[in-house]
Parts: sequence; structure tokens; C-alpha cells
Amino acid sequence: MMVDSSMSDTAKVSPRAGPSYAGWIGKLANSPIYAATIGLIANSRMARLALLLVIPLVWIITLHIGPIYQMARISIMDNYPPAPGGAIYTLDNYRLFFQEPLYFMPFLRSIVFAVCVTATTLVVVYPVAYYVAKVVKPENRTRALLLLLTPFWAGELIRTFSVIMFLANRGAVNVFLREIGFIDRPIILLYNYFSLSFGVIYLISLFMLLPLYSAIEKIPNSLVDAAADLGAGPWQRFRRVILPLSRDGIISGCSLVYLTSIGVFAAPLLLGGPNSTIFPEIIASLFHGSSDKWPEGAAFSILMLAVSLSTVGLFMRVVGGRTVKLM
Amino acid sequence: MRSYFSDFPKTALQASYWLFVIYLLLPLALMMAISFKDANFVAFPIDKWTLKWYAQVLQDKQFLEACAYSIFIALMTTLFATIVGVWIALLITTEGMIARSVIFALACLPAVVPGLINAISMRIFIRVLDIPTGTGAIILGHTVHAVPFVVIMVLTRLRSMPNNLVDAARDLGADSFVAFMRVTLPYLAPALAGGMVFCVLTSIDDFVRTFFLGGYQTTLPMLIFAKVQGGMSPEINAIATLVLIVTAAVGLYAEHLTRRSRT
Repeated sequence: MMVDSSMSDTAKVSPRAGPSYAGWIGKLANSPIYAATIGLIANSRMARLALLLVIPLVWIITLHIGPIYQMARISIMDNYPPAPGGAIYTLDNYRLFFQEPLYFMPFLRSIVFAVCVTATTLVVVYPVAYYVAKVVKPENRTRALLLLLTPFWAGELIRTFSVIMFLANRGAVNVFLREIGFIDRPIILLYNYFSLSFGVIYLISLFMLLPLYSAIEKIPNSLVDAAADLGAGPWQRFRRVILPLSRDGIISGCSLVYLTSIGVFAAPLLLGGPNSTIFPEIIASLFHGSSDKWPEGAAFSILMLAVSLSTVGLFMRVVGGRTVKLM
Repeated sequence: MRSYFSDFPKTALQASYWLFVIYLLLPLALMMAISFKDANFVAFPIDKWTLKWYAQVLQDKQFLEACAYSIFIALMTTLFATIVGVWIALLITTEGMIARSVIFALACLPAVVPGLINAISMRIFIRVLDIPTGTGAIILGHTVHAVPFVVIMVLTRLRSMPNNLVDAARDLGADSFVAFMRVTLPYLAPALAGGMVFCVLTSIDDFVRTFFLGGYQTTLPMLIFAKVQGGMSPEINAIATLVLIVTAAVGLYAEHLTRRSRT
């Protein structure tokens, strides 16, 4: 609508009179200061390209690559801030990681945890996404989707908090089970892997739902009909038609969930217990508190980044079978 | 309409959907219910109801200050992220631009890096540059995280824009700045509105970056975190309920805006 109005306005301008615009932009464009500054840039191809290039490239190089570069640099220092004589570069921080099970085990736990969470989320969310995309009538689809989306507008901490109260010893589940006489004493649901997975899946299942939904929705009904006409049963239709065609959604959903669940921070602090310490807590402890060990923390972060991104890359290769197009 | 989709165990699918809805909504609904409980501890069952927690929260100076601070950070983040995001998107769509996919991949980098690593690398970065932790650092961290989402949303919208709109404006004598302000920007408006609301909500919700980059002033998530760790009282439920209602309303409105723009 806004495009229409701006187009018709422009169309009224007669070419002979030169451009004249209504509103503040007109005042701006006709002022001499404009002609000497923005107008000059806008009318020169080189200046325009330079302006277009400089800010984004500077931003991306300093703020998207810079922090990771600095993290990598500090990860091979023996001390940070460096000693007065200048920094000594070493790989000891990485060696420490492989020598110390105290660091190594939580890291493995983190990876296994993220993989399990991703797989569980996929299995739980797939039928839901399928139901909304294919079974619900098109006119009700938005409503069915919104019902699922609304809880995600509540913040990470609020949802974590609601999970705590749901699973606590005097929380909803235990009180309910006691009321119906199923248990005498509360089951301990909180501060272990169960609560952690419950909470993390609760936080991130949206990242699985949306890609799956849009992939399944795109599958033409005619393909499934054709498979059925050729004698494929429900399972075969799912296995041979729907599943392969929703592969893109599975790939992006799993990647997103995996990358998010490996980096969750608040949820393990609030929902995890002493036996379920995962790697993010270890890394964070190296940056905070009395034992301030930045180079080690940076090295561990780099390892975690490398492993998580390469897992996703491998996954895309194996499941995708072809390079995934970014654009 | 004949569809073999209906052959599928439809009831099972429907059940899975509703179970999932209950899974998503029940904990939040129960949390809201406890905010009306007239007792000092968070537990079921609820015997007596009250509104006193809301009265207490709305007079809680700490809460109100945290709200104002979080909103301020969110607005600044949104402003910067929108400008930079649109700029990067324009660069990517420029004709004859080399290494487009590389620029796009790098622009999306902060969204792909796990949140904790992103926060830690920012913490290291600002220490190397001697930027103090606090408001500026938080805004920087949030902006870097928000930029990729703006880029993606703007690119999606730009791709559906007919090329000849800008050409027409240029033919009619507008220089490229005016053409951008009068044609491209209005066309982007719905995507921008959606992207901006998204920026505001993710910034207000962000915990991990604020945890590493923040100074002494508490943001809303920090306050909730401290209160949850410090012991439960229905006051937290009241805070959470208020925040939830406001963010869900804003989110739904943004959803409505972007949905309309697609049709």
C-alpha cells in the first residue's frame, strides 16, 4: 500500500520540472547542504559503492569476526592479561583439556546431551508439525500454529521458572500424583537430567517446529496421492515420500536445536543438579569468580565452537547429501 | 477433496498436537495461577487467592528500574541493529557484488555461534579493546546478535521486490538516496516492523550476554534470575506473569504485522 502511494506521487512529477518531493524528504533533497553531501555521494557511482561497502564490511570484520579472532588469540596465550615481557604463545590450554577428565567429561556430556535433546525434539515435534501442516484445514492453520507459538514469546527465564514449579517436590506434577493417590512421597524430578532435558526441550522446540512445518507444508498433496494410487500404505508413503521431502526442514530444525541446546546457559544453572554439570557451566566458571582463567576458558570455548559447528556441518553432509544452499 | 493424508492415523496426530499444546501451556498457566496465591511460598495447592503480589510488584522500585533499563537497552539495540542489518542486506543485494554468499555467511555468523560462546567472545573482545562492561557493552553484544536476523528478514523481503520500482524512481529523476528513502524503505516497512519487534523481544529476554557483559545495573532477566536463585515467592510469579503478558501481546502483534505483509 505504501509502495503504491510513493509510486503515484513520483509519477505526478513531470520530468521537465525536475524532481520535487513532498514532506521532509523533499525539503532535505532540495536543500543545498544535501546537494553538497548526500546528493554528491548518491550521484557518484564510486562514492555510492564505497559508502555501501565500508560500514557493513567494517562491522562484519570487527564485530562478527573480531571477537572470535581475539578468543582464538587469547586461547593460545599462557596468561591473560599477558605478563609485562610480552605474551608467550603455547598450546598448553588445549592440552589441559584433553588431560583433565574434569573438563573432558562435561564436554562429552554436553555433546551427548545436545544430540539426545535434538533427537527427542525431532521425534516429538514431527507429528505436531505434520498435523498442523497437512491435517488441519488451511483456514484454521494460522490459529493452530499461533497456539503453539504464543508460549515462546515468554522469555527464556520465565519458561525455565515455570518448569521449576511444574516439577518441584511440591510442584504441580507431584501434588497431582499425590492427590490421586499414586505416590506417597514426591518423586524427585528436579535438578537432574530429566528436568534439564524437559526444560531445554521446552525452551527450544520452536526451532524445530517452524522449519519442519514450512518444509512439510510445501509437499504437494498430489505426490502423496500418487503414491497411494500406486499402492503404497501409510507407512510406505511416510517413509518413501514425506520423510525425504521434508529433509530440508529436518536439517535446519536439527541444526538450530543442536546449536542452541549446546549453548544453553541459564537453564542448566537453574534446572541442572550437581551430577548433570554440562560444559557451559565449566566454561563460565573460568571467566567468573576467583579462579579467573581466561586463556583456558577461551581455549575451551574454541573447542566447543569447533566441535559444535563441525557436527552440524557433518550432519548436513550426511543427511543432506548435497551442499545446503545458504541463499 | 480427496486426500490420502487422511488415511494416516489422524487421531494419533491430533492427540500428539494437543498433548504438545498442553505441554507448552500447562506450566505457564500454573505459574500464572500461583501468582494469585495468598501465601509466602510457591507450592500447590492454592487455598486462598489474592492480588497483593501484583500490588507489591508494581511498587517494587527494583523491578520498575530493571524494566526501564531493559527497555532502554532493547530500543537502542533495535535502532542500531536495524540500521546495520538493512545496510548489510543492501550490500548483499547490490548488483555485481562479488562474494555474496561469503558476506551473507559472515553476516549470519553471530546467529550460528552458540549463545554462550558468542557472549564469551564478546566479553574477551571488549576487554581487549578496554571497553568497560555495562550499558554500552550490553547494547553492543545484543546488537551483534540481532543483526543477522534483521539481515535475513530484510533479504527475504527485498527478494520479492520488483527490480523496476527503483529503476522507475531513478528514471523519474530521483537520486539513489531519495529512491531508497521513498521506494525501498517503504517497501521494506512490514519486514522491518517484524524484525524490530523481534529485536526488542530477544534483547529484553537475553540472559547470557547480559550476564557476561553487564555492569552493576540489573536488567529484567538478571533480576528474575537472582530472585529465582534467591528463593521462591509468588512475587516472582507475578513479575513473570506481567512480563509474559506484555511480551506475548507485543509478539502476537508483530506476528500479525508480518503475516499481513506476506499476503
